[in-house]
Amino acid sequence: MNVLSVKGLTKRYPDFLLQDISFELPQGKIMGLIGKNGAGKSTTLKSILNLVNPDAGTVEMFGKNFFENEEDCKQNIGVVLGGIDFYNHKKLADITAVTKRFYHNWDDDAYQKYMKTFSLVPEKRVKELSTGMKVKYMLALALSHNARLLILDEPTSGLDPVSRDDLLGLFRQLVESKGISILFSTHIITDLEKCADYITYIKDGQLLCSDEKSKFIKSFQHLKEPGDKSDLSLEEIMIRTERSRYDV
Amino acid sequence: MMFNLLNKELRLAAHPNLFIFTLLGVLVIVPAYPYGMVFLFGCLGPYITFMYGRETNDIYYTSLLPVKKRDTVKAKCLLMVLAQMTQLLISLPFAILRLRVLPAGNPAGIEANLAYYGFGFIIYAIFNFIFLTEFFKTAHKVGKAFLLAIIPAAIGVLIMEVIVHFPGFKWLDSVEPAMILKQLPILVIGIAIYILSMLSAYKISANRFQKVDL
Repeated sequence: MNVLSVKGLTKRYPDFLLQDISFELPQGKIMGLIGKNGAGKSTTLKSILNLVNPDAGTVEMFGKNFFENEEDCKQNIGVVLGGIDFYNHKKLADITAVTKRFYHNWDDDAYQKYMKTFSLVPEKRVKELSTGMKVKYMLALALSHNARLLILDEPTSGLDPVSRDDLLGLFRQLVESKGISILFSTHIITDLEKCADYITYIKDGQLLCSDEKSKFIKSFQHLKEPGDKSDLSLEEIMIRTERSRYDV
Repeated sequence: MMFNLLNKELRLAAHPNLFIFTLLGVLVIVPAYPYGMVFLFGCLGPYITFMYGRETNDIYYTSLLPVKKRDTVKAKCLLMVLAQMTQLLISLPFAILRLRVLPAGNPAGIEANLAYYGFGFIIYAIFNFIFLTEFFKTAHKVGKAFLLAIIPAAIGVLIMEVIVHFPGFKWLDSVEPAMILKQLPILVIGIAIYILSMLSAYKISANRFQKVDL
């Protein structure tokens, strides 16, 4: 069963066009949304969440039309927008106290457990947390209301390699132990090698490919150059696809 | 759901200044003071909170919660109404108290009487309508919205404060029972305008915010 099905998502800006993005994310899988900076990854995620108004396309979440069942669908998802801090001066305990009232499935025991597991102190203020801890706090909130789908916009950007590895390991664990599905955008290719099952690649607002990881890699092997002995890695695929020549 | 949103407004989104400015309803006990300032503080409080909300990404956070996009607007409208009505309620006992301790009236401008409260509702109505509908065009240009709204609101305050110095409008400055009765329609009309203004401001702002790309 697909937890998320995006069809023909289109968003027009005066100087940018996100065109006809379609992909499907099965339950219990991790999908990496890749593309270089400005390719349209965030716009895609924001359009899925109705934070920006798509000009065309449909989003089906848990088998329901997201735009028609927004409140219902949001009860079952967790969202982390990397690089956006909320209520910097507030204590985690205050943010939690306000947030938990919105969720029917809030589980206080689970929340306490995640706070402890992630070494988060409720009395700390958001501004006192490191980038990785902020992401973990948002994840703790999402997991405490039993989110079945996590939508994460660049959750690993700004993290040191150790914290990144730690977070990616956590994603894998969540998928394996709880059957959660994760859609996350990144421009750090090693993230995908470590934890993605599916890859969706967006270039200049257009969908290049969305497939299971091994099939995705195979479909780009035509980019091989004479002298390449082994299969191209994800990083080589992206670099060769995006490479530009400057006339200087 | 609305209670949860209002709880979020008060505990996370509101700047401490909102509470202080709300308390400034007590200013009606100050001798010889332009009491219209109370309403201007009632406009400043929400403005600072909206600005603070922009810096704390409050609108983003709210949009990610399991609520409709228009509920974000409703919460902001309710917060404004709550702050302004609380401010007027806080001022009430002091307006009554001043009848005893300051029987000579207010030489600086309008007396804190029924007409004053009626004008207050109208001034709030003007400010709220322009501020909310302008702000939710973008959900971030709070300075422009404030400037466009505070100018007519301040002109309203100025008219209220000046008009009572003209002999023909002396009755507006009175606390005599007969004059108070004469002022009653101003209060009733003021409340009606305030309610109408908030309802239409919410409707227009919600429609505008629906089109905003965050």
